Amino acid sequence: MKTLQLDRIVKQYGDKTAVNEISLSVEAGEIYGLLGANGAGKTTTMRMVLGLIYPDAGQILYNGKPYHKGLEQLFGYLPEERGLYPKVKVSDQVLYLAQLRGMSRSDADKSLKYWLERFQVPENYNKKIEELSKGNQQKIGFIASIVHNPKFIIMDEAFSGLDPVNVELMKETVKELRDNGATILFSTHRMEHVEELCRQTTILKKGQAVLQGTVRDLKAKYPREKVILRTTGEVVGLEQITGVKQIDRTETGYIINIADESAAQHILQQAMSQSTVEHFEVKEPTLNDIFIKAVGGESNA
Amino acid sequence: MRNVWTVIGFSLRTKLMTKAFLMTTAILALIVTIVMNLPFIISLFDEENKAIKVGLVNSSYPAIEKSLEEAFKQKQDDIILVPYENATEEGLLKDVKEGIITGYLKFEAAEQGGEQAFPKVTYHSEEDLDFGLQGDITAVLTVLKTHWIVKDSISEDKKLQLNEPVSFDTKKLKASDSGQLAEEAGEEEPAFKAESFVVTFALLILFFTSIQMTGNMIASEVTQEKSSRVMEILITSVSPLAQMFGKILAMFILGMIQIMAFIAVAVINLLLPHNQEALKGLDLDISKFDPMLVIYGLILYVFGYFLYATLYASVGSIVSRTEDLAQAVLPITFLSLAAFYIGMFSVSTPNSMLVKVTSFIPFFTPTSMLLRIGLGEYQWWEFWLSIVILLLSVLVFGWLAAKIYRTGVLLYGKRPTWKEVRKAMKAYKI
Repeated sequence: MKTLQLDRIVKQYGDKTAVNEISLSVEAGEIYGLLGANGAGKTTTMRMVLGLIYPDAGQILYNGKPYHKGLEQLFGYLPEERGLYPKVKVSDQVLYLAQLRGMSRSDADKSLKYWLERFQVPENYNKKIEELSKGNQQKIGFIASIVHNPKFIIMDEAFSGLDPVNVELMKETVKELRDNGATILFSTHRMEHVEELCRQTTILKKGQAVLQGTVRDLKAKYPREKVILRTTGEVVGLEQITGVKQIDRTETGYIINIADESAAQHILQQAMSQSTVEHFEVKEPTLNDIFIKAVGGESNA
Repeated sequence: MRNVWTVIGFSLRTKLMTKAFLMTTAILALIVTIVMNLPFIISLFDEENKAIKVGLVNSSYPAIEKSLEEAFKQKQDDIILVPYENATEEGLLKDVKEGIITGYLKFEAAEQGGEQAFPKVTYHSEEDLDFGLQGDITAVLTVLKTHWIVKDSISEDKKLQLNEPVSFDTKKLKASDSGQLAEEAGEEEPAFKAESFVVTFALLILFFTSIQMTGNMIASEVTQEKSSRVMEILITSVSPLAQMFGKILAMFILGMIQIMAFIAVAVINLLLPHNQEALKGLDLDISKFDPMLVIYGLILYVFGYFLYATLYASVGSIVSRTEDLAQAVLPITFLSLAAFYIGMFSVSTPNSMLVKVTSFIPFFTPTSMLLRIGLGEYQWWEFWLSIVILLLSVLVFGWLAAKIYRTGVLLYGKRPTWKEVRKAMKAYKI
């Protein structure tokens, strides 16, 4: 069932269109990825989903109904810039935010302690936010957004500022929340996270959805244009094969860009005739490649 | 409503326990203590100077000197007259220098009228004589002069009458039902109502200090929430109205706690043995306090407080950095200063046109109307009309402030222009 539906929503700031006719839908137990360069409209879209700002046109449906009272308690929101009181103790503010979302103080306390334990930072319970490292602040922000078991989780750049170990930890958690049936909208400019976590994604460029669909479909749409070849000896004459655009020599072999997939077979034959092939792979495009293609060189994401 | 309590609880807990708050409260309480004990502390250094000794140089007016001496002996005043017989100029100067006497009085023949006229009196000393003491001496001398001039031309009886002060009373006139002015029935009104004055003054100062203390706290709390982006989370979980009023109520309670602490400190100080005298000197009669004045005053105070608090909250939500806040709240600070000073400067003229007009302007009602009900004239409908106006403006400004609050918290960057705020406000429901 589609728990969250955005139907051609538009948001304008002055004469600038921040979000232009974006539609998407997310199911319960799904992570939806919003990709885009800075200023592409990710945060604006998320704010509209949260009811912080209202779309100028189009509508957003939650479980089939428009925004209504009581929905606040189902939201979990992790803004890009932490959103925590710097001078207040972790326990005080997380419990406060959970209470505002309708959880009882004692339940919230239990939940907070569980998550602190889970993230291996139980000692932060009584510390002030300003005393914590940036990564630990991010963890607390993350906990604050999920401590009340929200049904709709909206995360803006959830993994920024974290080391790889903690990124893994968070990813595991997000997957767990997904498996528990939460509807998760997730923005990032780290492609590998989307590839790993999201079933569907929308790539935004200047408020427009330039690409949309499941990650697999997106990849299938883009031809496989890269061949990785590793041989024991040297292979010559590859550049003469029709369809080969560019050959890069690496320490262990070749990376060959091809115009169409049929060229790959010719490369393999050529290589086998000259040397022993240790590794041959026709690589599907990474989301990163697709992103750069779609958004173009002007992006800095 | 439950959310309002959650907000109040959180704001109180996080603010009350901060070092800054505890420190300021302690320091201010210390200042209150010092100020209240200042007269006593000064008097400790001041013991020997209680009465000053003034030499009285013998001359050709023995009668006057004798009467003067006697008058001051009876009064047991701050002046002790020490008669000097046949004193030389050198001897007097030496005594002044050594501090045996502070100065001396000398009688000289008046320039006109010679020996028969009342003499000219000169006080010689290193320092000027206290105004009060000068007055004391002149008063006694004036009486003596009268006696000197009338001599025996009138009887002793008449002389006594001459010394009696003029009787001066005030009686209030009030319009009766028929519209005629008539003397008010019942007790005579004293010219000056000390008890009402104390209540009015206390409420005036309470109003001003609590707005000053908590207004800035409200505004800076809101700005901090905004700049740390907690606001985005808060708005997605609670209605801005509940949030704003929760904050305002919490700061109100906080301010009250602080003020109660100061009052407690003041009362404890007043009850100290060495301050008992001063309390008696004020001559206040608890039974004379008008309970209605206190109740009306508190109504004005609470409504007035909320009016200003909502203004502070909305300004706090427009500004996105604490550095810009001081400048942004300036207009409100001026408004509250104006209200305070209209009250302070009109204490002696509570029925002036200024007070009458401003008592219907909601920002000034809490002080102007207070002055009128405490010390001046008012009709009951005037009071209630001003209360209704005040209440309506609290509601209007509360609604407006909530709207600005809802809008302002999402406007970042430079301070928005009014046009931008107005445009954005149209877009949001509270």
